[in-house]
Amino acid sequence: MTPELSWYLAVSAVLFTIGVAGVVIKRNVIAMFMCIELMLNAVNLTFVAFASFFQDVTGQLFVFIVMTVAAAEAAVGLGIIIAIFRNRETLDVDEASILKL
Amino acid sequence: MLALLFILFAGIAIGSAIAVVAQRNPLYSAISLIGVFISLACLYVMLAAPFLAAVQVIVYAGAIMVLVVFVIMLLNVEQEERRTRLSFLVPAAVGLAALLIAEVTFILYWVQVSPVTPAGNVSDTGLTASIGTGLFTTYLLPFEITSILLLMAIVGAMTLARRTAELPPGARVVPGAQVLALNIIDPTVPLDDTTAIEAHTTVEVAKILGIPDDHDPARRD
Repeated sequence: MTPELSWYLAVSAVLFTIGVAGVVIKRNVIAMFMCIELMLNAVNLTFVAFASFFQDVTGQLFVFIVMTVAAAEAAVGLGIIIAIFRNRETLDVDEASILKL
Repeated sequence: MLALLFILFAGIAIGSAIAVVAQRNPLYSAISLIGVFISLACLYVMLAAPFLAAVQVIVYAGAIMVLVVFVIMLLNVEQEERRTRLSFLVPAAVGLAALLIAEVTFILYWVQVSPVTPAGNVSDTGLTASIGTGLFTTYLLPFEITSILLLMAIVGAMTLARRTAELPPGARVVPGAQVLALNIIDPTVPLDDTTAIEAHTTVEVAKILGIPDDHDPARRD
């Protein structure tokens, strides 16, 4: 018995849902950031699964680009987090409810 | 055998993902997230994508998570405290989650169309050579756009993380053109006076406020 495409899609859906739940539940900016990374990885798993089952390399190229975007997002996002912490002395998103720093 | 491995890695991935959300300490969340990344890399190997598995471990579990852990340590984040605001929405959330799971189960149960993998897996899909060929021929433009994106991310991160001069709490600072309340410079002016002085660089602000310049090369160790 070998794993089928739908198995991978199910795992990906579960991971994505957990990530969405984390973004909604968490109040710490860094924890929300990590849940966004979790969602990106869930989508990556779908891409790789489709690429593997259809024998097409395009999906894996998409994953490569998604990883690059995630790295850029990590750099800018953590810079924003440091700026917020420097101005407000907290990482609670409820405290940072206005866009003004 | 493959199914057992799949269940093992998928189980580790989902368990670690739940731990990411359930932990209150961000550092524990980060460690659990590394578990998710590594088990996903194992799933990539099972899907015949060894290059992406290596990149997943190197870029995600290596670079990005080190950055996150570094920021957590740097900011010395305390544990998240429990709050009861909006707790009346918990039953609604449970109901909606059950509905979502029911929908997904329905789709996965009824839609049975699955592509057939060719027997004897001889395709080079997923090997480094095929990815490089695709990246530098058909998808050259997205690849170049990605490099511009990374350049912009470097500039943006440097701009955001730059430390301006130490200002008193009353100072209003706008990045780029920095505007200071007049009573910072002249204490005799009443507090609600809206007159402001503009300074365009951090060095100018420091000079107005009489703060010693951090960027003086003579004082650098």
